[in-house]
Amino acid sequence: MNKQRNKDYRQRIDKALATPKLQDALHKFGDAYMASRDNAFAGHDFEAMRQEIAAMKDGVREKHTELLQQFIQNAKSAGTTIYLAKTAEDANNYIAELAKKKGAKLAVKSKSMASEETHLNVALEKAGTRALETDLGEWIIQLAGQRPSHMVLPAIHMFKEDVAELFSKQTGRQEPAEIEHLVQVAREQLRQGYLDAEIGITGANIAVAETGGIALVTNEGNARLVSTLPKVHVVLVGIEKLVPTLEDAAKIIRMLPKNATGQLLTSYVTWIRGAVPCADEEKELHIVLLDNGRSALAESPQCQDALRCIRCGACANVCPVYQTVGGHVFGHIYIGAIGIILTAFFHGLDNAAEIVRACIGCRSCVSICPSNIDLEKIILSLRETIGEEEGIGAGKTLVFRKVMRNRKLFHSLLRAASLLQKPVTRGERTIRHLPLFFSPLTEWRTLPAVADKPLRDVFSQQPQQVAKPRYRVALFGGCANDFLYPELGLDLITVMNALDVEVYYPQKQNCCGVPALYSGDKETAVELAKQNVDAMLEGNPDFVLTTCPTCTMALQRDFVEHLKDNPAWAAKAEQLAEITIDAAGFIVNQLDGAEVFAELASSEKVTYHDSCHLKRGAGVWKEPRQLIETAGHDLVEMAHADRCCGFGGSYSLTSHPDIAKNILKDKLNDIAASGASCVAMDCPGCMMQIRGGLEKEGSQVRTQHTIELLAEALRNKK
Amino acid sequence: MVTEQLIEKFSTAARNVGTEVCQFETLAAAAEYVAAHLSGVLLVPSFASGVRHQLSETLTKVGISVEETLSRETAPQAQAGITGVNFAMADTGTLALESTAEDIRLATTLPEIQFALLDPQKILVDGLAAVEPMRQLHQRDPRNYIAYVTGPSRTADIERVLTIGVHGPKQLHVLLVPKLSSDLLEM
Repeated sequence: MNKQRNKDYRQRIDKALATPKLQDALHKFGDAYMASRDNAFAGHDFEAMRQEIAAMKDGVREKHTELLQQFIQNAKSAGTTIYLAKTAEDANNYIAELAKKKGAKLAVKSKSMASEETHLNVALEKAGTRALETDLGEWIIQLAGQRPSHMVLPAIHMFKEDVAELFSKQTGRQEPAEIEHLVQVAREQLRQGYLDAEIGITGANIAVAETGGIALVTNEGNARLVSTLPKVHVVLVGIEKLVPTLEDAAKIIRMLPKNATGQLLTSYVTWIRGAVPCADEEKELHIVLLDNGRSALAESPQCQDALRCIRCGACANVCPVYQTVGGHVFGHIYIGAIGIILTAFFHGLDNAAEIVRACIGCRSCVSICPSNIDLEKIILSLRETIGEEEGIGAGKTLVFRKVMRNRKLFHSLLRAASLLQKPVTRGERTIRHLPLFFSPLTEWRTLPAVADKPLRDVFSQQPQQVAKPRYRVALFGGCANDFLYPELGLDLITVMNALDVEVYYPQKQNCCGVPALYSGDKETAVELAKQNVDAMLEGNPDFVLTTCPTCTMALQRDFVEHLKDNPAWAAKAEQLAEITIDAAGFIVNQLDGAEVFAELASSEKVTYHDSCHLKRGAGVWKEPRQLIETAGHDLVEMAHADRCCGFGGSYSLTSHPDIAKNILKDKLNDIAASGASCVAMDCPGCMMQIRGGLEKEGSQVRTQHTIELLAEALRNKK
Repeated sequence: MVTEQLIEKFSTAARNVGTEVCQFETLAAAAEYVAAHLSGVLLVPSFASGVRHQLSETLTKVGISVEETLSRETAPQAQAGITGVNFAMADTGTLALESTAEDIRLATTLPEIQFALLDPQKILVDGLAAVEPMRQLHQRDPRNYIAYVTGPSRTADIERVLTIGVHGPKQLHVLLVPKLSSDLLEM
């Protein structure tokens, strides 16, 4: 790991966290965005629309060579000059040379992320051409000497007072910090630029192979001026923006503004093909087709889906990490989840190495992506690559490779930890304070103590009260249920027995491997997958139940993925995936058993927290709510119920505790605002985070697993 | 969808993004409306349905100061511009302007007020329905500059506060006038 790079990154995090105003702005934006977006998609089938775009863009990747040829040919027939730029430098050189040849003193630009990607402005300045950004947000950050912190709203991190100060320097007057006035200042200040500039530079949102034209999706009207008034128009566009037909373009235009800003459509969509009239002559149109890592991305089976991206920026809008630290931390040039991936390919792994670990893995970006990109999966594969290149850290290597893969050693160490922790637990179930350099871990939440006896040791002590079982199921406990919350496993027996289901605990099961996988150690994850496939299938269970959705994802998805090319294991992994189901989903969907708990509970005001991997991984969110309500509780929804709690495993323990702490704070505020006296969830990791945070705050709100609430209801009946 | 429903849908969507939409029986009535919203020079570029219906004369008759010679010198000085519309999209309240002739662009990008004359027959359901005329325009002309316009120019770049009229027109008035043109390829 590069120490200086890491140190700089940590400093950026600290700086962002010390700016609560920024977090407040990004949170408000996130909320307002979701509300407008919901309106914009009313009457539309988002799921169908995004699958259509994904399929179309995949088709483009597969037929890229011919489509690009078609585009070039059509563009040339319309009088366009085409330049294929292999690298950012090639693109910059071409445009700078052109500016020199034209004797251009001034180039006006409309917003182009591709030109940010290549640092075109620097290249133009070197060639003696001043580049003037005309998009309001871009102009603001140009005056501030910064880079965009959001792909669609580049100056989202700045406030009107900052803008007034920048504009005042520009005009030499004292400009008041009133937004309407500042917008008018920009209009007046930039107007002459369009008329004076020899060159206009734009990006493009779409390049249409059928016509050889491009489309620009904008709001301000500056791109129309930039592409009309100067004699030369240069379009810098990434080769992944290609679509086959006008229908395909129409579909992207139907999606993009809705998902980017919640607008039905932007003020302007500008379709330009060829050298159009300009004054009494013909416009000189150059299209620079930028590769710069895109072909390499297309060649990567793990990452190529990222080429479907239409640059709406939604993955940042909904990201709890982005909302906490902003795009100057969680991004390089491109920001947010897609930014991690694009940075790795466009700007090199080194520039992505820190931010690739900043993703907490909550999948909120995956659920909102208009091109159906599994961003989390790609980020994990990049983390693995970087883990291989740079190592995952000596401590982690030891734990994952030497300890976790050896189940007996791992579990012996956990048992030993139960004894070793005695001085700090003071005999309680939670650790409130840790000494010395461990102390930051318990500053903002308590941590659960390792149980005296793990679930695996006490499981058989609870007699199964079921005469004629409908099913015999195996419980995959996962480390947290096993060693931190054994009572949850025992409650599962109570609940399942009430549903005529017998449960057993396969002793050879090990960690699901997700902690290793998320840290970039796939080898350990694969080894653990094999151990668990054998362990869980051994007793030939009807189903395998989970109480932790991250484990569910491992058994249902990851094991299959890890072992799919291994003929000895692929079928077994598939078999395990098919019979694995989360406990709440099993009760509702498999057993239709909610009624068994009807009105048994002494009613309590309960709010429900959706665990990321349960809702956005397993697709389960209605089921636990149904169970809680049927049991007789008063279910109240908190705001942002499905927003991550900030746990993320080692994310909150070692890699990004400061960000995790802030994300937890948001969750605790939402829980408090709901007025509930109990918060329910279906994940031991979330329990650890939320219970720890509530305890540290001295809150009276109880944290319960849905299974615990059901067991409690059954006991209440008795 | 019948024309009445399309007009309704288009008008609602357009008004939602700050477009003024008004219906008139005649071009002369629309001209009165333009006059009432104007104090300066109006750019009137040449376009087929405008020429056919003597738009310039009609506007002059109600006392509007009309500029028909558009250039980089005259256009920035004008207060408003008026054009026809090739076709419109009801779901988003969008106008499609075939703007390859530069005068159309000068009249619709530089002034603060934009007027658009739309024959209600030209309102299509949505952006997908617009693909066919778009394709025909691309087949007819070797080069194109086609603008979809939805409301006035806007920005939210300072503190995400929606602000109207940053670089383009601050007002967009759509004047619905029957029997101007039913040809989607003609402005």
